[in-house]
Amino acid sequence: MTTSATIPAGERPVGVDIQESEQNRAVIEALEADNENSSVIHMPGLVRVTSPGRLVLRRETVEERLGREWETHEFQLAIISYFGHIKEWDDDEIVIAWDH
Amino acid sequence: MQFELRTQVIEPQRKTFQHLIDRYGDRPASRYEEGTIDIQAMTNFHYRPLWGPDKDIYSPDYSVLKLTDPYSFTDPRQFYYAGYVTSRADMHEAFGSTLGYLEKRGMFDRLPEAWKGLFQDVVLPFRHYEAAGQMISADACRFGWGTTTTQCFGYAAFDRIGNAQILSRVGIAFGGGTAEALAAAKKDWLEEPAFQGLRKHTELMLVERDWGKAMVALDVTDQLIYALLYDSLDEAALTGGAGSYSLVAQHLVTWFADQRRWFDALYKAWVADPEYGAANAAAIAEVASAALATAVAALTPIAAKADALVGAGSGAALTAAAQAVTTKLAGVGVALR
Amino acid sequence: MTIAPRAPRKLSMKDRYSALTRDLDWTPSYVTEDELYPYTKFEGITIHDWSKWEDPFRLTVDAYTKYQAEKDKRLYAVLDGFAQSQGHLSLTDASYLNAMKLFIQGVSPLEYQAHRHFAYLGRHLNGPGPRFASLCQSLDEIRHIQTEVHTLSNYNKYYDGFHSFPHMHDRVWYLSVPKSFFDDAVSSGPFEFLIAIGFSFEYLLTNLLFVPFMSGASFNGDLPTMTFGFSAQSDESRHMTLGLEAIKFLLEQDEKNVPIVQHWIDKWFWRGYRVTALIAQMLDYMLPRKVMSWKEAFNLYFEQQMLGGLFVDLAYYGITPPKFVEQAAEEKEILSHQVYWTLYQFSHAAAFSTSIPTDEHMEWLSANYAKFDELYRPLWEKEKRNVAAGGRHFARGLPELCTVCQIPMLFTEPGDPTTLCQRWSTFEDEHFNFCSDGCKNIFDHEPEKYVQAWLPVHQIFQGNCGGATIPDVLAWYKMTPNDGGEYLGSRDNKNWLAWHDMAEKTGGN
Repeated sequence: MTTSATIPAGERPVGVDIQESEQNRAVIEALEADNENSSVIHMPGLVRVTSPGRLVLRRETVEERLGREWETHEFQLAIISYFGHIKEWDDDEIVIAWDH
Repeated sequence: MQFELRTQVIEPQRKTFQHLIDRYGDRPASRYEEGTIDIQAMTNFHYRPLWGPDKDIYSPDYSVLKLTDPYSFTDPRQFYYAGYVTSRADMHEAFGSTLGYLEKRGMFDRLPEAWKGLFQDVVLPFRHYEAAGQMISADACRFGWGTTTTQCFGYAAFDRIGNAQILSRVGIAFGGGTAEALAAAKKDWLEEPAFQGLRKHTELMLVERDWGKAMVALDVTDQLIYALLYDSLDEAALTGGAGSYSLVAQHLVTWFADQRRWFDALYKAWVADPEYGAANAAAIAEVASAALATAVAALTPIAAKADALVGAGSGAALTAAAQAVTTKLAGVGVALR
Repeated sequence: MTIAPRAPRKLSMKDRYSALTRDLDWTPSYVTEDELYPYTKFEGITIHDWSKWEDPFRLTVDAYTKYQAEKDKRLYAVLDGFAQSQGHLSLTDASYLNAMKLFIQGVSPLEYQAHRHFAYLGRHLNGPGPRFASLCQSLDEIRHIQTEVHTLSNYNKYYDGFHSFPHMHDRVWYLSVPKSFFDDAVSSGPFEFLIAIGFSFEYLLTNLLFVPFMSGASFNGDLPTMTFGFSAQSDESRHMTLGLEAIKFLLEQDEKNVPIVQHWIDKWFWRGYRVTALIAQMLDYMLPRKVMSWKEAFNLYFEQQMLGGLFVDLAYYGITPPKFVEQAAEEKEILSHQVYWTLYQFSHAAAFSTSIPTDEHMEWLSANYAKFDELYRPLWEKEKRNVAAGGRHFARGLPELCTVCQIPMLFTEPGDPTTLCQRWSTFEDEHFNFCSDGCKNIFDHEPEKYVQAWLPVHQIFQGNCGGATIPDVLAWYKMTPNDGGEYLGSRDNKNWLAWHDMAEKTGGN
């Protein structure tokens, strides 16, 4: 059985599953760009982005790639699932991280 | 296996689910029907609720208002989720456009003082009433019997918080982008004597555990409020230089017309029920009579407040609205006291 | 969909959300708080300050309807296109639909129950933040049952087993497993329901339940199910957040809540885990083209993400991983095989069909499960000989059910996959059997609740299910001979072969 009792919150992976589609490509690219230690796995129909401790999605990074305005609420059209804790969800960014 | 485009059409074995075939025959069913009819569990519940062991998890006995076949009522709007949210997305988008226009042109600042006062002192506190409407409707969604009714209640619950948010967004615009106007309106709801009758009536409706009685009382109160605040003031607003009041009110008028469509159909179904019709009519008469008397008394000081501000005949409009409730219910066979 | 240009706002997203939701609330003065919220005291949970509830999503009604309408527009376009092009013929095989039959009979009605009971929370929680989040979830859940029914409606027209799902959910023996699970949650107090469904089901187990399942749909040509699944999961991520907020909120409000919540975690982990037994066999046996094994899914979605991630976080509050979780982890090697072997023998009384795994399928099972060749392949090899001799095996009698999870007593002793596990307790001079330590533990905490269970096999014996013979009971279930039994030679199988023969002959004209 896997346990990570000794691994601190900053290192335990968090992640998000995103439906693989043309519309969501900018979101996936933004996640990769803003989280330097992230890794991306492709599964049937979905893309999983994981990162140690913390994953951030920034509105501006998505907008640069989309070439239009993008509200963080639009992330709801892309996300399938996540693990971690959504610590912040405001006009400018979404942060998933562990607390403790 | 991959196939070329099929050139032969395969005939279906059945056109819909068996429970719909049993009711309506083997004909194609609508998405409303497939997603609604007979969807609620009806029997063989495993455990009595810890929060109320006297009844089953679902039961017709959570209200005195009953239908022999709960699916004898259907929503005239045929709303299942997709149809519902699409309709509401349009409603809120339309309201958003109105509000955007009013804000951009500084229309609230241009309102005559009396109409500013009406918005602030009379209308905005009703956001709390709408929030109570949400809770009463949500309770009916949980405790009703059969999906055609509970689905209407659930969507109505969401509509009510939507209405509360519409009023709140007006309030934020009114407060110049801050929550100050909302804070003042909340203080009125809690402390201003003219609102205390209505708040008491609202709190008492909230603790009514029979969902049917609570919904009828709420609806009777709604009929008065929507006539008083949004319908009857429209003309006066236009002639009184308060076009922005009319622009906001029309969204609530449109919503209430939609609400009436299913609620009036439900009154009819309750009263026409082969087994419970007479008992339903008597129970509705009792609840509606009491609610009407209480609500008229509670709204009278609010109408007086409106009259003092804009003098648009609100007191008379309230009396007319009360008469309209009596007439409407008489039309479906419910004689109020 | 067009996104309006961002207007300058003086209120932050958080403050605006607060003004539009929680500020609508007021403290009553004409009735007492206890009259207004009569159900939030009896469970022993202490809440000092409801305003400490965090709402990370901050979705208001206008945004909710806008995004949900957009999601449904996309989804229904896929459903319509699939139906118009006879997309069902592009599935890997008609046997794939057995997984979907089980889904509409067993899982979709749970979505409906969630719809109704989140409306209860939307009325009866004292805090306006969680009330509004619950109301949104209530709406999402009616979306899920309806989109599932609309998705599977097209298969119902051409295949058996789908036609009477709500009727069956209320009656059929194997469906009492999910039904009793949700009835248990709904009949609990509001806080326990939040932990049972909001946290345990929606956060701990949801990925395990749905993500591999939807990937399976994608792998097997079932584009509509994949689309509704992923679309539903996007709502689910909000539900996960509600569940996680709920548990943190309860734990932070008062230390006295910790042991109560710990027991609920123990209980609802095990209760939910037992329901996933049906998913385990779907993944390993019912999908013609495999995505991942149950073992792999359990390791990834539960052991790594939950035990390795979440429970480390919760340890801060003094919460430990659920009781008996080590038994579940050990069981991942054998669970799906034991469950499918049982369903295989009882599928004559089910609205899905079963069949012996093909040789290729057995190679996959063997490659993924170290114990398959030793423990389970011999059963199938023997059954192959039975079938060759004209004697496909169906169980004659009725299985004995666990009093709590209501699964037939088919599980084995921890550490010994060849000895059946049986636990029991006595309550008011009556003897009750359980499949596991986990189920016995649940019963022993609340025997007066579990003795009420509507156990299908008991009910059949008591004459409450249409009659004394299997045909009587099946008729009462509204099952036809085409709905269950052996897949090979079934009406679905024959039609499938005929349609494809037809399609091959006429294709390309």
